[in-house]
Amino acid sequence: MNIEQLKQELATLKRDQKKITTLPPEERRDFGQKLNQRKQAIEAQIAELESQQRDENVAPLDVTAPMGVNEKQPSVMTADKGSRHPLMTELERIIHIYNLMGFSAVESRQLDDDFHMFGSLNFPEGHPARDGYDTFRTEEDFIPPAHTSNMQYRILQDGKKDLENGGQIATVSYGRVFRNEDLDATHEHTFYQCEGVFVSRDANVGQLIGVLQEFFERYYEQALNIKTQPSYFPFTEPSFEFSIEKPASIGGKKGDWLEMLGCGMIHPNVLKTAGIDPDKYKGFAWGGGIERLVMLKYEIDDIRHFESGKLRFLKEFK
Amino acid sequence: MKISLNWLKEYVDIKVPTEDLIQLIGSRLVEVEETVDLSQKYKGIKIVEVKTVEKVAGSDHLSKCIINDGSNEHPVVCGAPNVRAGMLAVWLAPGVVLPESFEDEEPLVLDQRKIMGVESSGMLAGADELGFGTEHKTIAEIDPAMARAGDDFAEVFQLNDTIIDVENKSLTHRPDCFGIIGFAREVAGILGQKFVEPEIFGGAEELQTSRGYIEDGEIDSHSESLESSTVSSSQIIKQYKQLEVKIADPNICPHYSAAVLEHFSEKPSQYLSTTTVLLAKSGMRSVSPIVDITNYLMLLTGQPLHAFDYDKLVAVGGKESPEIIIRVAKKDEKITLLDGKTISCDVNDILVTSNDVPVALAGAMGAANTAIDETTKRIVIESATFNLYNLRRTQMKHGIFSEAITRFTKGQPPALATLVLQECVDFLTTQYEMSLAYDIIDCYPNQTENAPINFSVYELNKLLGTDFTYLDVDKTLQNVSFQVSTDADNGTTVVAPWWRTDIHIKEDIFEEIGRLNGYDNIPSALPSRTFAGIAADQLGDLKTQIRQILASNGANEVLTYSFVNRSLLEKSGQDLQNSYKIINSISPDLEYFRQSLTPSLLNKAYVNIKDGYSDFALFEINQASQKSDGLTSENIPVMKHKVCVVLHNNSKQTAYYSAQILAKELLIRLGVKVKFLPAKNASSITAPFELDMQRAAEIRDEITGVNLGVVGEYKRSIINNMKLPESVAGFEIDLESILQRASTNVKQLKESNYPSVDRDITFRVASDLPYVELEESIRQSLKDQKLKFTILPVSIYQSEEQATKNISFALTFASHEKTLSGDDISMIIDHIIIKAKDSLNAEVV
Repeated sequence: MNIEQLKQELATLKRDQKKITTLPPEERRDFGQKLNQRKQAIEAQIAELESQQRDENVAPLDVTAPMGVNEKQPSVMTADKGSRHPLMTELERIIHIYNLMGFSAVESRQLDDDFHMFGSLNFPEGHPARDGYDTFRTEEDFIPPAHTSNMQYRILQDGKKDLENGGQIATVSYGRVFRNEDLDATHEHTFYQCEGVFVSRDANVGQLIGVLQEFFERYYEQALNIKTQPSYFPFTEPSFEFSIEKPASIGGKKGDWLEMLGCGMIHPNVLKTAGIDPDKYKGFAWGGGIERLVMLKYEIDDIRHFESGKLRFLKEFK
Repeated sequence: MKISLNWLKEYVDIKVPTEDLIQLIGSRLVEVEETVDLSQKYKGIKIVEVKTVEKVAGSDHLSKCIINDGSNEHPVVCGAPNVRAGMLAVWLAPGVVLPESFEDEEPLVLDQRKIMGVESSGMLAGADELGFGTEHKTIAEIDPAMARAGDDFAEVFQLNDTIIDVENKSLTHRPDCFGIIGFAREVAGILGQKFVEPEIFGGAEELQTSRGYIEDGEIDSHSESLESSTVSSSQIIKQYKQLEVKIADPNICPHYSAAVLEHFSEKPSQYLSTTTVLLAKSGMRSVSPIVDITNYLMLLTGQPLHAFDYDKLVAVGGKESPEIIIRVAKKDEKITLLDGKTISCDVNDILVTSNDVPVALAGAMGAANTAIDETTKRIVIESATFNLYNLRRTQMKHGIFSEAITRFTKGQPPALATLVLQECVDFLTTQYEMSLAYDIIDCYPNQTENAPINFSVYELNKLLGTDFTYLDVDKTLQNVSFQVSTDADNGTTVVAPWWRTDIHIKEDIFEEIGRLNGYDNIPSALPSRTFAGIAADQLGDLKTQIRQILASNGANEVLTYSFVNRSLLEKSGQDLQNSYKIINSISPDLEYFRQSLTPSLLNKAYVNIKDGYSDFALFEINQASQKSDGLTSENIPVMKHKVCVVLHNNSKQTAYYSAQILAKELLIRLGVKVKFLPAKNASSITAPFELDMQRAAEIRDEITGVNLGVVGEYKRSIINNMKLPESVAGFEIDLESILQRASTNVKQLKESNYPSVDRDITFRVASDLPYVELEESIRQSLKDQKLKFTILPVSIYQSEEQATKNISFALTFASHEKTLSGDDISMIIDHIIIKAKDSLNAEVV
């Protein structure tokens, strides 16, 4: 049926609707419902056909041409209107510092599996520590990763050969991670992390602290007071939380501590799973979020701005 | 978890100032969330004696009381039914803060006022007003054995205390720290002191060896009894058939012990008890004397206990020989819990049953059918260990987050169960005059012991970067009751105490030593590195480059969610079935993993247009995935890295061309020359674009011929659906194909050393001739003549009602061999004209 026919049909239905009063009361409801269903179906069909018509009614262009007929040459906009996302700018700067320190970088995957998210990281099936990650899952049991540590196994495997040839593994992974958390001013279900992995013959806790201190001092361009606190992660032993004293440049006072990231010596089981002999090689790893660094730097009070896509927010950042 | 410092001090000698202790706990044990100084909360509160009580005229419940605070008498009006002359009560004098409101923004301060014409000085407080419970009717009465009128309330009830609230999450692996004794042990370790094990833990060795268990699955097996050390045999009455215990599978319940006690009477004390106060300090409410005792022991040791009504338990089972059977639930098996809710079980849930009839959801909550009430005569106290993985699922599935299950899901040491039960029985028999019906029943099939762990101090120092000595190791570990032995041949051997279920490998021991001595004392150092270069992150570098190019061309970078909703996919013409679907999404808005970036950006274009913005270009560089792209060699979805632009163009110009020029500019800056060609809609990615009606084009690499992406306007139906104006267009480009291309060697014709010539030329062609064919023809002519050249389109003109259009070009060319003469130039131009005429029927104008 074409649109005209459908519209006629609709008119007929409307006439039928008036007949409802002539029916015995017990039949009215059923009749009304059927009529309504039919009406809705026809209306949907009309909408569908109309939108098809709209698509068919457009005039084709010469898409191979660089400009429209009788139109001026198009131009791009000027640089002053443009902006880069502050999270990405910060991430680039962070990676740059790690690059200068000798760490290569690799972006993490946004869909992964249980093995890379948990299994390879010494989280046994059903372990309560998995609860802390509030992971999403797809119907196929794939996981949008809840931490960038999902790259750890791959980094270890990729670097294994270098390591055995007397080298080291020094890589950061970065990217988008996901947690099943309700949204508010300080919680996002989608955020960015950067994670580091270092393995050598003599890696130790002192070096872990040294590397992190070096990074944050480069990042804030000043000497910093730091502290480490015990923590628990299944994929590191021992495990720590690493904090810095809030730098004056972002409004810090003595005694204001900022918890920056979780870290620790890579658990022997994690090395073993990746085929690296934990008796010969030691490693450390760390990981933390990017959003908070940016929020502190620009005094952004609401994490929801980042994924809002609003020009009002974005145009503040060049 | 809330920890009372005073309670802690009963087990460990703390000499350092409280701030230092908190700092040490934070840096060496667990994150401290908050500390609360209770002495401020209970400041100035006195215990008083009620001297006289008389009814207030005109009120049915108010009484005028005269109280004595040890030195003076004061009038207080009180509405509680239990107020009487001679009792000791708690007086909040004028000026004192109501403890219940202490944490409020505006705490309530008591005053002097007239109530129904009667002078009243402050108030007599109920337990709820003191912050100890919910009961509101009565005022708190103080046991005269504990205090006298005039005593400081805080002092009598040990409320000059500090509450340390610690973060549970960082103790996930430390079940032993979920009891005051275990926490105190760690504090001793941190302070460098030897912890003196209280009797309950010290006596563990001999008790641990006692046998008595039931083989799994054997119905008729028999449980042995454990001799009670404190109950004389004369107290044991064996008038009825002894309760038996059977564990269906030791994996789900490694240890189950139970005690049957008689002469139970729940006579709540009329007095405010120290237990109530202690529970309140730990964040728990007083429920009933028996529950309070089990909760007290749980807070002390970390071992949860549960009490059943024995007679109900036997009746529910319906058999003469009562037997507790611990088994997993059947699918959809129903149980009505103490809180009145009936839940439907899962095969992961563990049930405690009486002859197979459920009487408790193990670890979580007892069933209503065996609840203790005023008719209860005999009780069963259960002390058990359940599989933490099962309980974790129970917790999640049924949403039960009690203090007990919090402890169970950390994995309490099985050996603890009987010890705490014994403690409970001792308490009930001595303090409550109850008696043990028969020996404690103890079912503990597979007792395990911590294996010795061998290491060298060299390894320890290597991992930590420290220089600990054997002596340091010895002292640190012995302080927290590890057995340590060292010999020259085998290095150091350590056996963790039985309550440490988390020590398995030498790294666990190194953690203990490093932590207890303070990680902050580890000297920091940088690892040494060679000057070998690091591998480039090509994809990351490309993204950085694109970001810079697009921003410098006036575009604004956005980030949008990877999860989209069904409606956005449908509106964009993408197939729902081709998107990975999130089964536990936060909301229906975030249910599908996106197949491409365009729909998300169309959405954000709408948001910004609504905000009043026009003439903008949004871009995003991100990942997307669609099922049709299949799986990688790791068997996980193929991810596509993309750059996407959606722009809004408020000028009269066709939006398509604005998008095209931006795409071209980006790709040229990336070193990629492209053509824009008509194409048919073929995939989810191109679905939103109006390819079929040629208002969008395929972006094709000129050199390799590879399809890099799509550019153009969107289907009118989609624009309409998304409430967008027609003047939006954009592109989406696949980044991997650009990366792969980077390795293609692109040869450029070398520069000419001779002067170049500029010529403008205009052709009249059929209006339906694609522009690119004419440009291609000119290019071919110039190429044929081996010239160095550029072709710049100038204008495309069409007068109304004409079947032709005029296309003008500005040409620049030079020879590689000579300076071109006038004749040469004419010949070149003629060549171009003839070729265009022959192949395209183009007329030079």
